[in-house]
Amino acid sequence: MLFNSLDFALFLPVVFVLYWFVLDKSYSKQNFFLLVSSYFFYACWDIRFLGLLLFSTAFDFFAAACIQNAQKAAIKKFWLYTSIAANITFLGFFKYYNFFAVSAQESLSLIGISVPIYLLQVVLPVGISFYTFHGLSYIVDVYKNRIEAEKDLIAYGLFVSYFPLLVAGPIERATHLLPQLKRERSFNYVMAASGMYQILWGLFKKIVIADQCAVYANAIFNDSSMYSGSTLLVGAVFFAFQIYGDFSGYSDIALGVSKLFGIELLQNFSFPYFSRDIAEFWRRWHISLSSWFKDYVYIPLGGSKRSVIITIRNVFIIFLLSGFWHGANWTFIVWGLLHALYFLPSLLLGSNRTNMAIVAESRTIPSLKELSQMLFTFMLITVAWIFFRASSIEDAVGYCNKMISSSLFSVPTVRPTYLILLLIFFILVEWWGRRQKFALEQLRLQDKQFVRWVGLAFILLLTFIFNSPVEQKFIYFQF
Amino acid sequence: MKRFVKHCLLFGLVFFVLDKGLYFFLNQAPNLEIDKRLEYMLEGKMNKDIIILGSSRGADNILAKQIEQQTKRSTYNLSYPGSDIVFHDFILKALLQYNSKPKLILLVIDNPFLFKEEQTLTFRLDRLYPLSKYNYINAELIARGEKNYLSWLFCAARINRSNFTFKTVSNSHLNPIDNWGSMPFLKKEKQQSLKFINSNLTYTTRGELEAKITAFKSMQKQCKSNGIQLLYVFSPAYRAFDISFYNRFLQLVDEQSVLVYNKWDSRYQNEEFYFDEVHLLKTGAEIFTNEISTFIQSKNVSK
Repeated sequence: MLFNSLDFALFLPVVFVLYWFVLDKSYSKQNFFLLVSSYFFYACWDIRFLGLLLFSTAFDFFAAACIQNAQKAAIKKFWLYTSIAANITFLGFFKYYNFFAVSAQESLSLIGISVPIYLLQVVLPVGISFYTFHGLSYIVDVYKNRIEAEKDLIAYGLFVSYFPLLVAGPIERATHLLPQLKRERSFNYVMAASGMYQILWGLFKKIVIADQCAVYANAIFNDSSMYSGSTLLVGAVFFAFQIYGDFSGYSDIALGVSKLFGIELLQNFSFPYFSRDIAEFWRRWHISLSSWFKDYVYIPLGGSKRSVIITIRNVFIIFLLSGFWHGANWTFIVWGLLHALYFLPSLLLGSNRTNMAIVAESRTIPSLKELSQMLFTFMLITVAWIFFRASSIEDAVGYCNKMISSSLFSVPTVRPTYLILLLIFFILVEWWGRRQKFALEQLRLQDKQFVRWVGLAFILLLTFIFNSPVEQKFIYFQF
Repeated sequence: MKRFVKHCLLFGLVFFVLDKGLYFFLNQAPNLEIDKRLEYMLEGKMNKDIIILGSSRGADNILAKQIEQQTKRSTYNLSYPGSDIVFHDFILKALLQYNSKPKLILLVIDNPFLFKEEQTLTFRLDRLYPLSKYNYINAELIARGEKNYLSWLFCAARINRSNFTFKTVSNSHLNPIDNWGSMPFLKKEKQQSLKFINSNLTYTTRGELEAKITAFKSMQKQCKSNGIQLLYVFSPAYRAFDISFYNRFLQLVDEQSVLVYNKWDSRYQNEEFYFDEVHLLKTGAEIFTNEISTFIQSKNVSK
């Protein structure tokens, strides 16, 4: 059941009405109902892996209770490591087994050893990377005494499986979400209205921007040898907008849907393509994942508080892990490596926290310096996206080689006018709303209802016009 | 909560009304088309004795006007360049739904690609998009997964990007469509020498598409149940006739008549009459059309 499907368009109002009109009086009933709805939502994807989700939830719940109740540090540690090992094993088995098996076989063949391998023909359980990270952060937080172990299995189950975030995040923290699930929720008009605006903007990003860019990006990437350097650049730029529209669109819908139930989720994107350097980009792109790695990997490893060598090592570890988290392919690892290389100079020069404020916060248009910084950063990110998108390292290198050639300065053969106009419109709206949590929030804050409704209707019309009857999956569902 | 629900419903209503403004684009899209044959069909204006169906071989190689003059029966060419048998079947269904039954249908056979996957022969969705204001077309687009059910309610879900253009599609200077729906090639694009391919071809059933065979059988069934005579036509080509495909074709047809161009007519081996290997110039089309008219008259077809 995709967010951009008719099924979800029926599912959501039914859950909304029952949640507020039937179960309004009790948060525990609301939680139970949301949990059942979430399992139904997940089962619509693939009922076979519902058992895995239930087991993972129950195991972490039990392990956290054991950690809290244990008197001895050694026992606490035992349950911590057991739980981490169990989570990582599930993730590794389903997501990385084939990758490691093939890589090991290839490595051994280099030294003349031939080993038969057994590849798994299993489907990756949808959302496993996300709910595993929920469980991991919860266990560590309990171990570190940041929170108490949850006693309410329903609330904990909902924290792990809440349907807006179940399949592609944002990666929530128990410290943020569980307290919200444990208090009375009453309907809030402003929050719900904001949720509707965010859902609409998310749908626009996915259907109008991502899916339209995908048509051209796929055509160019799948047949890159046929195109000139300039067209390949256009393909890479389209992919940059595709993945942003796709993933941030999903996040916007997830956050908007959750607001309808009176629950705020963590912000996952904050206009990353307006970043003036890579450090700023990573404070704005997939925030819930990057902050997860920062809190649960980077800082425990010593962060930047120890020697320069350790700092460099830590930076490489989190960026490589981030790349590897996306998928079992060397292309993602190189993507992470590139970002580590981009990021390192600013960290070593101490300039990684220079651009903390919103770009041109008090002005309408950016300065020339800001514009050039944004364009340069975007260019670096776009080059890295080539590795993310390509099916192999060879393909990505070939793509880059062909792109950086004399034909880079020729007129691109693919230049769909309608899509360019849509992208300009999209960038302008994002720029206009960059001070808010999502761009269309700016429209909601307009005084005149006429302006608000005309703006909404226009965006909704575009979304209808470009809506594909074939359900277009979100890219991040594969992760 | 009441306020929220009220605003949602009110906005839905406003959107529903605004959406209807897009009907302007839907309504004017057909006016920009030069080829109005499908629209005429949907409006019940295609009441002819003889109808020609096929791909470009039907459109370019057969002159409906000439058949009409020679047989004294109203004739129209509903062949669409680049269309496959599934599209021909769709055209036949639309024709029978909104118009009186023709007496005779000439189905021009794409030898040897009729039943196989062929990139140049497709279901011509581009012919349907400008006509999406018609429910019949919208239903077909939904059935083909091009639109979803929201298109029954909202113009925005029915409209296509192509509906936003205000440019009239210009007629081809090489093979403009005439008032009888035929598109004969008036001249060659450039002087190029054709090479007669005389090799023996071997047709195999591997790669045949079930959908295409089903469409072919559906056309036969429709003609039979409506009492329409179906004449299969093999048009000349600047290459040896593929007898192996012909034998396969015969396995899939019933007792209906088949017209194969006169392979012994030396003019069909003269490249001066060809635009390319499978498409005749108008002069060649006149020769072949004459053959068809003679066949129709001699066999008393469609009487």
